[in-house]
Amino acid sequence: MATLPDGKYRPLFRGEKDAKEIAIASFQLDERPVTNGEFLGFVRENPKWQRSQVKRLFADERYLAHWAGDGDLGKADPAQPVTQVSWFAAKAFAAWSGKRLPSTAEWEFAAGAGFTNPDGTKEPEFQQAIAKWYGTPTPDVLPAAGSGKPNVHGLRDLHGLVWEWTSDFNSAIVTGDARGDTGLERNLFCGAGSLGAKDTGNFPAFMRFGMRSSLKAGYTVHNLGFRCAKDIPSK
Amino acid sequence: MKTTIIALLLGAASVFAAEPAKPAAELPPCCRPAVPLGKPTDKSLYLLDSKWTSDVGKTIPLSVLRGRPQVVAMFFSSCEYACPIIVNDMRTLEAKLPANVRAKTDFLLVSFDTKRDTVAALAAYRKKEKIPTANWTLLRGGEDDVRELAALLGINYSQDARGQFAHSNVITVLNAEGEIAFQQPGLNAAPTALVDAVAKAAKDAKR
Repeated sequence: MATLPDGKYRPLFRGEKDAKEIAIASFQLDERPVTNGEFLGFVRENPKWQRSQVKRLFADERYLAHWAGDGDLGKADPAQPVTQVSWFAAKAFAAWSGKRLPSTAEWEFAAGAGFTNPDGTKEPEFQQAIAKWYGTPTPDVLPAAGSGKPNVHGLRDLHGLVWEWTSDFNSAIVTGDARGDTGLERNLFCGAGSLGAKDTGNFPAFMRFGMRSSLKAGYTVHNLGFRCAKDIPSK
Repeated sequence: MKTTIIALLLGAASVFAAEPAKPAAELPPCCRPAVPLGKPTDKSLYLLDSKWTSDVGKTIPLSVLRGRPQVVAMFFSSCEYACPIIVNDMRTLEAKLPANVRAKTDFLLVSFDTKRDTVAALAAYRKKEKIPTANWTLLRGGEDDVRELAALLGINYSQDARGQFAHSNVITVLNAEGEIAFQQPGLNAAPTALVDAVAKAAKDAKR
């Protein structure tokens, strides 16, 4: 795992009275997303997370549908990031590994770092590289996890491989029908949406925000995986 | 046919058995003796093993609520805007239910606020809002468990700098098995659809 320093994350959307920045305490994050091979080890030890055993409450019908069977990857490459996993399954894997899922703030903080500069917004080469990925469809065959270029913290594939679950993916206050929600971010929808946003140029961040707010915890998606985080042991 | 008769007999027997005991009306639904009902279904929220604490201080899994439909909302007691409305909506619904349905329906409020909504804060909220004890449960839980329950109910939330929670307003009807039977988003909606959903769910009440 890579260790990230203390830092600050500027949320994409915030209420008028909210602080502009959220403090992030130093934490550890997996250098790459969890792979099919690693997830296979998990379901072998935890049969209730096998494809045929999982309860519908915790994962939809497409859970691990690209594997050949409960304990058989079939054509899925063990080195590829695991996808078609629900939030519950990702959370259970993380707990089994003695880790946890990163919060959205932690994930975005990590993903905001460039190849050479901890603030990726100051690095045009990094900005171009991620814009390119967000404009490219997911390939039929995913590359191996960890094959991307590392950022300044040594983290790979935060952009350019798969979307990733976060522990509080359901903290975005929007729904298909925004009347159902109360509070700060009700202006998200329609043309006025970006007025409350701090950085209207950060299109990939909007895409991630939209992606997360469209998810439900049991959903499994062909290009959505996860990586784990861990607190720094207190001294 | 035979099983129906047996079920009816069993149902009648348990009613009689319950009568001489201490009146159940004194205890909120969380603290009634659990009824053994076998394994929960694959879509039941009662598969969760998280533990929750009620305003009467008892720690329980949600599965103790099994057997009766639950009308569920998430709230926090220091809320300034939407929560009093959502609780009011639930009380309006309760008042609109036919008496025979109301007698088999429970109401459940779960707090977002893992820090301030202590057992004492929830008890004070029940007292202040005059929330009836007989069929209303108030629960608090750990941060991860609250996040998980919200995810299952499709409720998004985040806390702002002042400690207020922005959240989806959803009233959920769980059937007696703990499956989501109906959800109504939004505030101040006419409770007609909710009343129908609860009445339907109450037909399968096991207690």
